[in-house]
Amino acid sequence: MSLSGEKRGYAVKIMKNKIYELLKMGKRIDERTPEQFREVRVLTDVVAKADGSALVSVGKTKILTGIKVEVGTPFPDRPDEGVFTVNAELLPLASKTFEPGPPDERAIELSRVVDRCLREGQALDLQKLVLVEGQKVYMLYIDCYVLDYDGNYFDAAVLSAVAALMNCSVPVYKVVDGRVEQVPGEKFKLELRNIPVSVTMGLIKDKVVVDPLPAEEEVADTIVTVGYSSETVVAAIQKSAPGLLPVPMLREMVKLGLEQSIKLRSKLLEAVGDGQKQA
Amino acid sequence: MQYFRENEVVVPGQLLTDDTRKRGFGTYVRDGKVYASTTGIVKTINGGVRVIPVSGRYKPERGDKVIGIVADVKPNVVEVDLGGEMVAVLKLPERESPPLNLDIGDCIYAEVKSTGLRGILLSNEGLQKIPSGILVTINSAKVPRLIGRKGSMIQLLRRESGCDFWVGRNGLIVINGPDPSSEFAAIAAINLIDREAHKPGLTERAIQLLRKIKGGSGEQA
Amino acid sequence: MNRPKLIDENGLRADGRRPDELRKIRMEVGVLEKTDGSAYIEVGGTKIYAGVIGPREVHPKHLELPDRGVINCRYHMASFSVDERKPLGMTRREIELSKVIREALETVVFLEEFPRMMVDIFVEVIQADGGTRTAGITAASLALADAGIPMADLIAATAVGKVEGQLVLDINELEDKYGEADMPVAMAPNLNSIVLLQLNGRMTVEEMFKGLEMAQEAIKKIHGLQTEALRNKYKVEPEGSEV
Repeated sequence: MSLSGEKRGYAVKIMKNKIYELLKMGKRIDERTPEQFREVRVLTDVVAKADGSALVSVGKTKILTGIKVEVGTPFPDRPDEGVFTVNAELLPLASKTFEPGPPDERAIELSRVVDRCLREGQALDLQKLVLVEGQKVYMLYIDCYVLDYDGNYFDAAVLSAVAALMNCSVPVYKVVDGRVEQVPGEKFKLELRNIPVSVTMGLIKDKVVVDPLPAEEEVADTIVTVGYSSETVVAAIQKSAPGLLPVPMLREMVKLGLEQSIKLRSKLLEAVGDGQKQA
Repeated sequence: MQYFRENEVVVPGQLLTDDTRKRGFGTYVRDGKVYASTTGIVKTINGGVRVIPVSGRYKPERGDKVIGIVADVKPNVVEVDLGGEMVAVLKLPERESPPLNLDIGDCIYAEVKSTGLRGILLSNEGLQKIPSGILVTINSAKVPRLIGRKGSMIQLLRRESGCDFWVGRNGLIVINGPDPSSEFAAIAAINLIDREAHKPGLTERAIQLLRKIKGGSGEQA
Repeated sequence: MNRPKLIDENGLRADGRRPDELRKIRMEVGVLEKTDGSAYIEVGGTKIYAGVIGPREVHPKHLELPDRGVINCRYHMASFSVDERKPLGMTRREIELSKVIREALETVVFLEEFPRMMVDIFVEVIQADGGTRTAGITAASLALADAGIPMADLIAATAVGKVEGQLVLDINELEDKYGEADMPVAMAPNLNSIVLLQLNGRMTVEEMFKGLEMAQEAIKKIHGLQTEALRNKYKVEPEGSEV
C-alpha cells in the first residue's frame, strides 16, 4: 500500500523521529542494519531477442534491462569509438507515482546516472567496438525498465545494466570492400573492462542508511548515489533529492558506500558467473 | 442445485447455483443463475451464497476503524489518506477550525461513517489523533489475522512486546512502545504475520520471535 | 529472399506443432508488488507482464464519471522485445492494441461498482513472438481477477492464422509474418461471447468460422489454465482460526 504522500510531498510526521530512534539503536523498520542491502537477485539472459538482458531485484524493486546491438556511424569527434546509449523508463505499473507518458525528470535522471556509471566507470573499451574507423561502429542500446518500485531504483538499474552487458553477445560483422556485412551465426561476448556498481544512501540527521526504503526516502534529509568503478575509483555521484548535505556526512557516505560496493560487486560477479543464480 | 464446495476458491464467471434467491455479496445473476463476480472463497452464510474476496485491496465498510494521514485541510473538509490511493473525508461545519486542530501530516484513528457514490466519509465522533509512533502498512486482508479471534493475537503482541498498537482495518498500523527495542520487536512480529498469516503455528512463532528479540541484546532475529 | 517453409509434408508446422496445437503456456498470478493485481504469462516465446492498479481516484478529475468507473489500458512493448529495436514512446500499433484490449476487458467489468474511480491496466511485453495482444489480454484478465475487480467472467484469447492455405492455431511470429491471415480472438468463455476480434489478411467466410471454432476450443483450455493459476495463488487460509 502506498500513501499519496509519496506524490504530494508531505512526510508522515510521526515517523521521522521514530525511524531515527531506531537508527540510533542500529536498526531499521524492515529489520536490516543501516549498512545492509536488501536481498539482491540477478538473472541474466531472460529475453532471448535481446542481445543481452538481466532481471535484477533489490528487495522488491525489480528492473529489467535489455541490450540491442546495431551498426551505425560514430560521433564525428570520436571516430574510433563504438557508441552506447542508456534509456530508463519508470513503468506505470511499478508504482502509483509513475505516470504513463514520455520519460519524466526522474526517468531521465536515472538514465543519465546509469550512463555515467557505465561511461565514466569505463565498463566498456569502446575502441574495441569499431568496424570501420570514422564510418561504422557498433551501437549498443541499453534500455532499463523499472517493473516494480520499492525504493532505490538507482542501484538495481546499474546492476541490471552491468549484468546485461556481461551477458551480451554481439553479432560479428566483417568488412568487405569497405562495406560491413554480418557473419551469420557468429557472435562474440562483450568483455568488460570494469564492473561499476552504485550504492545509494539516505541521510537521516546524522545517520546513513544504505539502500533506502520508500519510508526512509520520505523522511531522509537527502539521498546520494555513488558509483564506484573499482575499489579505488569513484565514477559518478548524484545527490538525487533536495536537502542539506554536510561535507563530513558526505565523507562518511562515500566511505560506507565503498565498503558496500565491494560486497555488491562480488555478489554480482558470483551471480552472473554462474549464468542464472541468486546473488 | 449447488455447483461448488464450501470454502472453494472461485473465479469470476464461475457458476455457483441456480437458485437466484441465494445471491449474496461477490455474486451476480444472469439468465436465472448465480455466478461469482470476484476471485474469492465461496461460503454459504445464513442460506445465502457469498464470495469473500481474497484480494489485498481494502474495501471500506461502515463501522470500520481505520488509520489515515491528513492530506489536506480545506474550509469544509479534511482530506484523509487511507493508503492505496484511497482518500476519505471528515466534514466540518463552515468556518470552524478542524477538529483536534488537525494539520497536514497528522495521523488519525477514525470510524468509517459511510461509503458509496459520495465517497468515504469518516465520523467526527470518536476521532482520535495519534500523537506519535511508527507507521507500518500490511496487506489489509491480513488485518483480521493480526487482531485474532476476539482480539487474542493483538493482545498477545501487546503483552509480549510491551507496546501499544493502533490497528486500522485498512492495513495501517501504528506502534508505540516504551523504547525502540520494544518497538523493533513489535515491527518484526507484525511483518511475520503479514508474511505468514496463512501458515499454521503462527501464534507460537510470533511469541518466540518476540521473546528472542526482547530477551536477546536486540540482535537481529 | 528466402521464404521459410511453414508447413512440411507431414502437415507439421515449422516449430513441429500440429495445426491445432497451442504453444507451451505458463501463467503465474501475483508476481509484482506495487500493483493491486498482476500476472506473468509465457506463450511459446512471447513473454508478458500484466499489472492492474485500482480502483482509485480518477486523474485528471474531469474524466471521472458520477455513476460508474473508468478503465484505462496501456499495451506497451520493451524496445528489446522484438527483432528490430522498437523506438521509445508509443507507436501507432501500441495505441490501437491498447484500445481493443481495453474494450474487451471493459465489457466484462462491473463498472457500476466503482463510480468516480478508475482502474489502470498495464500490459508490458518483454519478448514478442507472435500473439502478444492475445497473451496480453489473457494475462490482464488474470491481473484484474488478482486485484479483486468485480467481473462477469475471465477473458481468454488466442490467434488463428492461415498459413500456406491451412488454418493454424496460436501463430508465432514467423507464421504471422509470412502467413496469409491473422485473426486474434478473445472470449468470455462462460458467457460464450467474443469480446475482441480482428482480422488482418484474407479468409473465406467458411475459413473464418472454422477458425473461430478452433479458437473456441483453445480458449477453453487457456481458461482452465487461468483458473488453475488463480486457485494456486489463493489456497485457503483459515482466517483467525488459530488463536
